[in-house]
Amino acid sequence: MTALSTVRRSWLLAPVSHPDRVSDAPSAGADVIVLDLAEFVAEPDKPAARESLRDCLLPANSTGAEVFVQIDPELMLADLSAAVWPGLDGVVVTRAETPGQVVSIDAIISELESRRGMSPSSVELVLSLETAQGNQNGFEVATASSRTWGLSLGRADLVMDLRPEPSGETHLMQYLMQRLVTLASATGTVPIGAWWRFPDRGLLATPENTLVAAQRGRAIGFKGSFCVVDNQVLPLNAGFTPSESEVAAAHALCEAYESATASGTYTMVSVDERVLTPDIVGQAANTVALADACSTRDRFKAAAVKGIPVPVP
Amino acid sequence: MPSSTRRLKRSGLTMPIVTPRFINNAWHRGCDYINMDLEDSVPPNLKGYARSLVRESIPVVNKGGADAVCRINHDLMEADLDAAIWPGIMMVNYPKTEYGHEIERMDAIITRLEAERGIRPGTVEIGANIETAVGVANAFEIVTASSRVRDFGGASGYDMSRDLGVEMFVAFDQFVYGKGEVELAARAAGREPRAAPFTPNITGSVSDPDRAFAEADAARKCGFRIGGGLHPAVVEPQIRGFAPSDDEVSDARWVLREYRKLSRTGQTWVQVDVSSVDREASPRPMASESYLGRHRVIDRYEAARAEELLQWQDLCQERDQEKAEAIDRVRAAESAESAT
Amino acid sequence: MPILVRRSNLIVPAVEQRAVRRSWMHDADSVTLDLQAGTPDSELPQVRETLRQSISLASKAGAEVFVRVNAQFVYADSDAAVGPDLTGILLPGVESSETVAEADSILSELERKHGVAHRSLEIAPSIETAAGVWHIRDIVNASPRIRQVGIDEAALAASLGITQSADHDPFVYARGRLCIEATAAGVQPVAVADPMGVQTGDLSREGMVNVATDLRNLGFKGIVCGHPSWIAPVNEAYTPTESLVEYYTQVREVFAQALAAGTAAAPFAGRMIDVPVDEWAKDVLAMSAACAARDAEKQAALAAAAAYFDPSVPVIG
Repeated sequence: MTALSTVRRSWLLAPVSHPDRVSDAPSAGADVIVLDLAEFVAEPDKPAARESLRDCLLPANSTGAEVFVQIDPELMLADLSAAVWPGLDGVVVTRAETPGQVVSIDAIISELESRRGMSPSSVELVLSLETAQGNQNGFEVATASSRTWGLSLGRADLVMDLRPEPSGETHLMQYLMQRLVTLASATGTVPIGAWWRFPDRGLLATPENTLVAAQRGRAIGFKGSFCVVDNQVLPLNAGFTPSESEVAAAHALCEAYESATASGTYTMVSVDERVLTPDIVGQAANTVALADACSTRDRFKAAAVKGIPVPVP
Repeated sequence: MPSSTRRLKRSGLTMPIVTPRFINNAWHRGCDYINMDLEDSVPPNLKGYARSLVRESIPVVNKGGADAVCRINHDLMEADLDAAIWPGIMMVNYPKTEYGHEIERMDAIITRLEAERGIRPGTVEIGANIETAVGVANAFEIVTASSRVRDFGGASGYDMSRDLGVEMFVAFDQFVYGKGEVELAARAAGREPRAAPFTPNITGSVSDPDRAFAEADAARKCGFRIGGGLHPAVVEPQIRGFAPSDDEVSDARWVLREYRKLSRTGQTWVQVDVSSVDREASPRPMASESYLGRHRVIDRYEAARAEELLQWQDLCQERDQEKAEAIDRVRAAESAESAT
Repeated sequence: MPILVRRSNLIVPAVEQRAVRRSWMHDADSVTLDLQAGTPDSELPQVRETLRQSISLASKAGAEVFVRVNAQFVYADSDAAVGPDLTGILLPGVESSETVAEADSILSELERKHGVAHRSLEIAPSIETAAGVWHIRDIVNASPRIRQVGIDEAALAASLGITQSADHDPFVYARGRLCIEATAAGVQPVAVADPMGVQTGDLSREGMVNVATDLRNLGFKGIVCGHPSWIAPVNEAYTPTESLVEYYTQVREVFAQALAAGTAAAPFAGRMIDVPVDEWAKDVLAMSAACAARDAEKQAALAAAAAYFDPSVPVIG
């Protein structure tokens, strides 16, 4: 997996039926632009949206964002035929529910990849487990295709009709989010989501609340999140990137441990009364590595905006 | 489930069937169902006597319009079912359900008794109660074991606490995982989740009307429709707590009107600024329910919630009327009797 | 099934001789000598050589002794540990039933080799990854040797790319799943290492009692402690208090009188006492008796051990 593909902090949804949203999306700074054919495209607009999709792929990519297309599994053949063209990085499947569905999607993509001169298995999948059935079948769904890169709850709060509790937390969401993070890691995929709470709803929130949702989401294991509005993108990027003070503390911890254990014999190392175990050091090393990968990703996007050709890191 | 056959379970009293004054007084409390207990509140030496009371108690609890429910013993399933499945029984609660095959066996026995005793097939519901770790672990196989399981929940409370060896009344939610498993299983199987938001109860009170109202109110706002209790003092607050307020009903009508406008535009969602809406207009949005400051999102999900709310209000009103009429009939008959 | 009293489990690096020499002094119900964390591979052979002595030392005050083996050296590490004073091995990073099955057959072989009773040694799997959490049911049912299973939160966080903090709890699901599935299988769930994101040095003794009490109220039957300062608060949190014992003794009396009078529900101190409350009372009293028995056992062992050791060394500390 390339460094580029591991840092996918912000996934901006842009409905293909809204040309202004599609043309504005690349300037928002998202790691991934998700051209939507499913959730935000009204039924009568879908045929025209599919027609125009191919021409949206390359412009969306112009600022260094990766490009995914979000499809409706009930309309998979038409949606995938419109989406799988050179320039496509992946497909987001709304309401993913059964392994059979995912197997069919995989097969259709394979066929289109070969017919349209794309490298085999280049198109990745992110599966949105938005229904109870999708979550119940989560393990089988997640392991149905080797293309599956990530799992998300999508807009489960709306699709499953989960409402805020008096605490402000959305009912059942703590359980579903932590279950998804576990499921993703257990199946070798990446959990995508943020810890939203009232008044956030359906991936929609103010920039301030989006930042907090991203920070909380990272604290429980999410690596990036979808969003609906352009002004949510930078808060997502910031919230899913370790802060400077976190990185500094993690660096210091790793260095203390390394210098103390450099001799190769056992030494007990404490920092601030904490006995450092390999797992605590491992957590810090993860933070440092993530910060590095994020800055690589940001440099790549900055170069793309200036039109400097940069090889994929 | 078609709404015409849906039985409302907003409030219900569980009482020992061997205590006649409880059973004989329960009918006028106004609850949606009365749960006649053969299990924990009946001492072992009285189980046989308790069974002999169920058939004659069904019309007693039914006479105020409440549905008759019976909680049987886990280890005495067959004998208890034989005593409980008579015309007028709406549901049988099976405690400490742990395996799908228990529910399958129960379904088969009920099916036979329905046929023998002239009850319409498939109408008696099974309440499969999850009260142990094994039950949580097998939740999905249990909820899908019979179509008689119409609603499903549990994984908290006394028996669950005992099984896990934890204190029951603590200030945080100990059962997030178990309740989550059970609710997900219910939803995945297409059954109604029997759930509620967590509210800390460190006193263990079962008779506090304010608390009962607050819990029912929070459950309703979260989309849940099922309640129950042990004390008559909680019946009325529960019925009140599960009823949509006038403001919510007005809000739902406003949402549906805005959604009809939206659907003519070819958009899938819109943000409506509600700060300038005339507070006297009807229907009008609720002030406190805005998602993004002054703005409300209108989309198909909001419309679906609004529709459900209006249907729920109708169901509540119909059910309340049904019970009021039943109680009136009993009172009229009683006064006619005392007049003669 | 008799109650297994394993409230506190002190984990010490087997390589750290000073900690090993003191490991019996802290009143832990069990001690785990760790061959994994901190021991460089180059020092392993030397540590293995003295391991049986260390185990015997750690068990002097009646603690059950486990050895945390390295996942890649299960045979060699266990071979150095198996003997009359070993209770079992702590198997790190278990993700599937196959890993348990392999360890099971290794222990069977070593039991024969070292003349230890067949099937007497335990395997305590440690769950350290999401795959372990997800496949927990297969794991806890993989061997009759399993009587406890642990969730190592620091390792789990590292494997998920999470930095633990007390602000946001990422493991409500994982802990709940472990407690439910372990309990369903008749296996004791235990918490391991920085539970609830709380690290050694962060808390007062009272704070530790509170954390341990919360863990007990989630269903954990004990805590593997990375530092001796955890032991006393953990034992305290897991032992029913005198007032609780007194209350439930009265509950049992009231209920017995009610039954004799022909009812299964009687009011007492503002609550209704019925069958489940009486069952609960039985559980609390049984746990209290089991803790007392375990403490007496440890006291007796300690007294016997004191005869062998320098009495000037403080016993608890």
